Amino acid sequence: MDVSPDVWGQLALEASQVYLTDGTAAKSPFAGTTIEKLPDKVLLHIFSYLSHKEICRMARVCKRWRLIAYDTKLWKNVSLRPEISGLHVGSLESLLALISIRFGPSLRYIELPIELITHTVLHELANKCPNLTHMLLDFSTAMQLHDFSELQAFPTKLKYLCICLSEVIFMEGFMRKIYNFINGLEILHLIGTYEKVEEEEEEIYEVINVHKLKSATPNLRVINLYGINFVDDSHIDAFSSNCIQLECLAVNYCNKVTGSTLKTLFQRSRRLNCLLMNGTNLHSEYLLQVEWEKCSLQELDITATDLSTECLQDMLTRLPGLRFLSAGQLNGFNDSVLKTWMEAGNPRNLVALDLDSSDNLTEEAIYKFLCKHGHQLWGLGLSGMTHITDSLWQTVLPILTNAKNSKAKFLLTVISFVSSDGRYYEVVKANFERADRMTVVRTLTNCRVSNYYLLSNYKDLIFN
Amino acid sequence: MEMPNIKLQSSDGETFEVDVEIAKCSVTIKTMLEDLGMDDEEEEVVPLPNVNSAILRKVIQWATYHKDDPPPPEDDENKEKRTDDISSWDADFLKVDQGTLFELILAANYLDIKGLLDVTCKTVANMIKGKAPEEIRKTFNIKNDFTASEEEQVRKENEWCEEK
Repeated sequence: MDVSPDVWGQLALEASQVYLTDGTAAKSPFAGTTIEKLPDKVLLHIFSYLSHKEICRMARVCKRWRLIAYDTKLWKNVSLRPEISGLHVGSLESLLALISIRFGPSLRYIELPIELITHTVLHELANKCPNLTHMLLDFSTAMQLHDFSELQAFPTKLKYLCICLSEVIFMEGFMRKIYNFINGLEILHLIGTYEKVEEEEEEIYEVINVHKLKSATPNLRVINLYGINFVDDSHIDAFSSNCIQLECLAVNYCNKVTGSTLKTLFQRSRRLNCLLMNGTNLHSEYLLQVEWEKCSLQELDITATDLSTECLQDMLTRLPGLRFLSAGQLNGFNDSVLKTWMEAGNPRNLVALDLDSSDNLTEEAIYKFLCKHGHQLWGLGLSGMTHITDSLWQTVLPILTNAKNSKAKFLLTVISFVSSDGRYYEVVKANFERADRMTVVRTLTNCRVSNYYLLSNYKDLIFN
Repeated sequence: MEMPNIKLQSSDGETFEVDVEIAKCSVTIKTMLEDLGMDDEEEEVVPLPNVNSAILRKVIQWATYHKDDPPPPEDDENKEKRTDDISSWDADFLKVDQGTLFELILAANYLDIKGLLDVTCKTVANMIKGKAPEEIRKTFNIKNDFTASEEEQVRKENEWCEEK
């Protein structure tokens, strides 16, 4: 008889249940030890692995489980955006009740959708949740802003604020009410509607006033402006004029950014070590003017920009301390760039390199580079390089494996050609399982992995 | 060089000789050894009155297999915790009846072995996931101690987070 694995699973399950109800089966010596013997602390730990939806359902099992399900420790991070795997709160009344009864002082992070962003909710959060430090406000689906004229209080301990902008709703009516409360912000995310852009140019509205916002937030360390259609160089300039602590600036997919104010940015923000400009409209001439040799930049993303070969050579030879470089989809990134960079000795600190689809690079040049620097890499992305052959991987993989042995977090994006090849996949997978697994290696093109988790501010940069 | 061993005594009087380093994955034992200065003395027996021999044997088996693991990462509060990352060895190891599983949890809790507590609690969480309250009661033999009106009340308290 053929027994499928499912059947075994079922049998195992039944066997474990037999002990509970059926005295005739071989009894476990511990049949008397039921889940009810576990102390509250342990049940709480078990509940901490469940989603809030599950936790609410568990409250209905028995009195003791209800008490545990309502423990505020389980309600530190709450998302109320149902379309992004959050909970659905039907009415403002129930949210107000939840804030005071279930969240209380434990609440540290909350995500609110437009319907729930009202002055009463914000007052309640300000009054009942003194430890709220992280907040996400999603206005992206807004048709119009609520009236905030009565907004008098706002959480005052925020360190992290993420605002998802709508394309058409002007935020100032809300923002001017909160400027006084957000002086302590260290991390600011403004999320544009990049992903929603479908049609041709419509009218672009500057829906949030960056110039006023920057004056209210002098302590920002991390600024992420993501896919905002109106953000340009003047906004970068505005932030740099007031945020002396700035360490990390990301303007990915803000396609009006040309780089014209980068020179001043680096002159003012001496601590800036991470600059992410994927999919921007950078002009080589502006980048040539930046005093790279004087800055402390360690992490750079220039993927999908039009930078020239000359500009790339100039920049990489003047940047001594680069740890992280993401330079995919760059036609200008050719063999001579890699060669000049190597000759300058500047990749010596490099730990992460992504060259996705920069296919003006030859296999030979990549090979030479990896022979010299492969051992120091924690992450390498060579996806979308259809011309790279198996033999490169054959020779290079042992070099890269050294990185793994030094307990590094080792990531290979093997997409275009390794897909069907069991052997490389197995090698990579095995390495991966032994290393600190951070991301899963997949063999199909439907999954893009990046080296971003190697960024030093990675945790602060996560949004959504 | 031989690693020094210590003896652990279960509640029912059985003694187990264990490599000190393995025994120290239990914070409780580690603290005991440090506090009592038992570190250098040989032939010392550590009594574990809350763990019986069958369970202690399993705990030692688990700790021996995991002795070279890196220390478990700090709980990241901002992240939803995963329960699908139980290694296949652990999954096999935990194919036991519920009574044994809960005994293991109690032992891991008492002995303060974070890795074992995490993986056993994840296993229970996986047994809970996707089940309705009534199914949970059946699975774990829990008595419904709500009166009808209380049951209605608690349903209301939580209806906001059911899917619309």
